[in-house]
Amino acid sequence: MPSPSCNVTVASPLRSYTKGASSVTACGTTVTEVLADLEQQFPGMRFRMIDEQGRIREHIRIAINTQMINDLNLPLTSRDTVHLLCALSGG
Amino acid sequence: MSLSTQELARYSRHLSLNEFGIAGQEKLKAAKVLVVGAGGLGSPSLLYLAAAGVGAIGIVDFDKVDISNLQRQVLFTADDVGQSKSVMAAKRLTALNSLIKVTAHDVELNASNVMSILSNYDIVIDGCDRFATRYLVNDACVLLRKPLVSAAIHRFEGQAFTYIPGQGPCYRCLFPEQPAGDLVPNCATAGVLGVLPGILGTIQATEAIKLITGLGSVLNGRLLTYDALDMRFAEFEFSRRHDCAVCGDAPTITTPIEQSAACASPSDEAGITTAELQMLLTGLVAADLQLIDVRDPHEFAVGHLPQSINIPLSTLDSQVHLLNRNRRIVFVCRSGMRSQQACAIAAQVGIFNTANVSGGLQQWNQTVDSTLHCPL
Repeated sequence: MPSPSCNVTVASPLRSYTKGASSVTACGTTVTEVLADLEQQFPGMRFRMIDEQGRIREHIRIAINTQMINDLNLPLTSRDTVHLLCALSGG
Repeated sequence: MSLSTQELARYSRHLSLNEFGIAGQEKLKAAKVLVVGAGGLGSPSLLYLAAAGVGAIGIVDFDKVDISNLQRQVLFTADDVGQSKSVMAAKRLTALNSLIKVTAHDVELNASNVMSILSNYDIVIDGCDRFATRYLVNDACVLLRKPLVSAAIHRFEGQAFTYIPGQGPCYRCLFPEQPAGDLVPNCATAGVLGVLPGILGTIQATEAIKLITGLGSVLNGRLLTYDALDMRFAEFEFSRRHDCAVCGDAPTITTPIEQSAACASPSDEAGITTAELQMLLTGLVAADLQLIDVRDPHEFAVGHLPQSINIPLSTLDSQVHLLNRNRRIVFVCRSGMRSQQACAIAAQVGIFNTANVSGGLQQWNQTVDSTLHCPL
């Protein structure tokens, strides 16, 4: 049985991976699985967010709906939206 | 601080707001607000703060007005090009409202002056365009216990939040460290929709006015994001980190520190100078070289090195098959930032025979060939 898919919004600096799309769909029951699916769809994207130790990079934040998270293994449902946020520097 | 007859007339629309009234206007008159950066964000926030009657406004910016600023930096006119931003901004605000005091700080904010400058103000608005300055301003605000209204923009997206000392998370709680190698480019390299900072800068002015008057609630522990393309606002809750380097339980940053350029761009190990590039291009080894200009096509069209091919950084991921593993690959861009990122992207797919030109075509223009057209 395929994993449920959820909506993922993509921060502007990461959209070079999604061909400019501000939101995409990805499959997974946890954020970890969603990130793995994103990597399948958009090679190289996960490494921009997650370091070699599997930690969220310090200029990246990930939110489920309105709450920023640190635990990538929190459960997701198809009603959830995962938000990929990135520090911006422009002024 | 009582209001004069002239001020009562000028701010009458504020006075008509029951929630605001004379008391609110008097608080604005007594307030001292510092705006860091008189750019896209600083322009609208400064104009609205001056118009609203904030009694003392400081402007920090050491840059000069460039023609490319006028697309979004509404403080300035074409006559201001080449002039000091902070000085011209102060002049504009004084023309708008001569009842307030405006101070231009025509200096680059650094670890040695940030505390003394910020200490003269009640609230700080950060509208700068460099990560290093963002962290410097945040740390100084935490150390001085000054509220900070922060915003940043990128292409069509912006974000804002407000730090209140002792009551919520700071910028380092949100993003503990800046991206390695400046992976998130600024407006000069990524481009920006001109009206975007108008929205975010106005939000910053609104937050400052609410902080001063005590009205409403501010973005304390909430990151507000705005996507101009989708015309969508969103907000995300975040908390203070107990291990935050500056506001945490055991802070490691106890005086302002500057994130050096080397820290901002730690991966410039593959950098070569423009003189080295010139030697490569004129030497017998030129045939072994693949020179790739990673700027956008519209920049490439203005001027480029004749030996170069154009693969924009934004498309490099999907065009790595064009990289010739059997030749030395040299990436070049405007200032040397995107070319560093190109080296990193190539390394991710196992291509390590790369170099980037430090200082980019701007440096080439200054040191090798001034006839090469390279947009600033």
